Amino acid sequence: MVSAKTKVINPQGLHMRPAQVFVSAMKDMDCDVRILFNGKSIDAKSIMSVMLSCIKQGAEIEIQCSGPQEEEALMKAVALLESGLGDM
Amino acid sequence: MILQGIAASDGIGLGRAVCVREASLDYSNVRYSDKETEKARLQEGIAEFSRRTSAMAAQIRERLGEKEAEILTGQIAMLADPYMRSQMEEAVEGGSCAEAAADSVCTMYAGMFACAEDELMRQRSADIRDMRGRLLAILLGEMELDLSQLAPGSVLVARDLTPSMTVGLKKENIAAILTETGGRTSHAAILARALELPAVLSVPKALEFIKDGDGLIVDGGMGEVILNPDERTRDEYLKGQEALLTQRALLAAYRDRPTVDASGKRYRLYANIGSAAEAEAALRAGAEGIGLFRTEFLFMNRASLPDETVQYEAYREVSHTMKGREVIIRTLDVGGDKAIEYLNMEPEENPFLGHRAIRYCLDCPELYKVQLRALLRAGAEEKNIRIMLPLVSCVEEVRSARKLLEICKAELEAERIPYDKDIALGVMIETPAAALIADLLAREAGFFSIGTNDLTQYTIAADRGNAMVEKLYSVFHPAVLRSIRNVIAAAKEAGIPVGVCGEAAADPALIPLLMAWGLDEFSVSTASVLSSRACIGRWHESETAKLAQEALGLSTAASVERCLRTAVGQPEGGEFRRSHRRQEISRIEGIQGEI
Repeated sequence: MVSAKTKVINPQGLHMRPAQVFVSAMKDMDCDVRILFNGKSIDAKSIMSVMLSCIKQGAEIEIQCSGPQEEEALMKAVALLESGLGDM
Repeated sequence: MILQGIAASDGIGLGRAVCVREASLDYSNVRYSDKETEKARLQEGIAEFSRRTSAMAAQIRERLGEKEAEILTGQIAMLADPYMRSQMEEAVEGGSCAEAAADSVCTMYAGMFACAEDELMRQRSADIRDMRGRLLAILLGEMELDLSQLAPGSVLVARDLTPSMTVGLKKENIAAILTETGGRTSHAAILARALELPAVLSVPKALEFIKDGDGLIVDGGMGEVILNPDERTRDEYLKGQEALLTQRALLAAYRDRPTVDASGKRYRLYANIGSAAEAEAALRAGAEGIGLFRTEFLFMNRASLPDETVQYEAYREVSHTMKGREVIIRTLDVGGDKAIEYLNMEPEENPFLGHRAIRYCLDCPELYKVQLRALLRAGAEEKNIRIMLPLVSCVEEVRSARKLLEICKAELEAERIPYDKDIALGVMIETPAAALIADLLAREAGFFSIGTNDLTQYTIAADRGNAMVEKLYSVFHPAVLRSIRNVIAAAKEAGIPVGVCGEAAADPALIPLLMAWGLDEFSVSTASVLSSRACIGRWHESETAKLAQEALGLSTAASVERCLRTAVGQPEGGEFRRSHRRQEISRIEGIQGEI
């Protein structure tokens, strides 16, 4: 398992559109991807779970990946979040 | 019969009602065949939903842009959620037919989103309900509403206008739009404005009162709907519609011109708006900025305070729409007379002299800070937002507001959230006290904006809504005019910009006076932008100076007004009566009206 801490920089947090961008990128990864936020572990492949977590701008989150493509998935996840998920 | 609703899109439309009634979606007669068949039906239904929805999204993207299409692509993404899918399949395993499975799972998620802590997420609940209805309709083999075959002159009457309903809509066949729900920022309102169709929303029980084929007049500017009008009323509105169109065509020539007088001096001509969505219309109407954005609407028609995200969204939307142009946002202006229920404001003996606007906000710093933080953040990208404080009566109020603003800045800095460090803080001049100490306030304020409606009422101590003293209320009263002149002079002396954002800014008889005194900015209703630009263009500096001198030499409101009206060629005061009617209407609309 690999993990990394990062921060959500989108002005509106992970609302519908950025969540869609993030989840659809994670869906194709052959590994489990979870977001640790506020003491909860959220399945990053479920848009409903991600949206219902109400992750706002400035939130510190941790990404955990485990499975065959874990390295690639983690890099992709962090890069996407740091780029603002096309929402900046 | 007249029905009242929210004025969502300007214009007058006459036509026949087409009532849009939703399918019943009753699946109590559906028999459970077997696990495999139900699962297959469910999967086929979801696949069909996604196919239809992406086709709709493509059409909407082309007509209205990406933002509108996202509502639909979001529905596809949500329905593809692995948990949602497996929960539906589990329900089928447990003996539910495909319809019951889809219904229970969608309803559960709609409920979960309805309780989300973030308001933006709570709004998704409506999308899930729309998705539920359409998926059920597909499973039941119900026809989806097809609005592409309407007869010309149709007035659409619906509970709500969902994105999926509007796909095939042909603008040339629609006279107007009328709904039971929604506000100025709802999908139906955005759609109506984008298509330039008159619309009145939130008309209670419209579908009960209106039957298919009923004659309707929809006045989108006034928020009025007339059901089965008599011939005389019809003719009147037909004439009104024609006059509106002619006037629009005439003034269109001024749309893309700068605001300059006959001597070549440049002025700023801004618009007053009451919701984020109106910024677009203001821009289209030729406004060079927003001189007054009333934020009350954000706080109305809801059960609790709008959180920082919701406010931020609204302010940022205006900031982006107005890109590169100034946006002056007035902080919450409430009082005992225009109460917002959940604020639990005490009824007051004398609300106009009471605990209202800046006084109330400074006494509720936690509430005020949410708004200030949202404003600071919303200005981070375009740097075009200015904060305006309503009903200031002393220097301390400006200082306290600035102190709160600095606290908010420090918080945002610590949270590493971007904001506009140099945001301007200005004062709305609308009390006689503020007008008299304009020179002292000018040292502490980034700009002034004169609210002539309240300044007139407070200066003369006459309620413009009280028929018995109404005749005293006149912006032409020498006391009011001297106040305005002094405020402008104090601002010039201090080197800060000064504007007028009351009715006076659009009155052809006052425009030359304000020009003579050196006003920088006129902020008028969107509908008056082009006529004001035309009016400013007619005056030369030397003429306005002469006229101002003459008018200020007179000693009664009536003689001043007569002098000015004669000078601008309106000896009968026709324009005055019209602007007076606007004030009456704004009183009825209360908080959402002019100033």
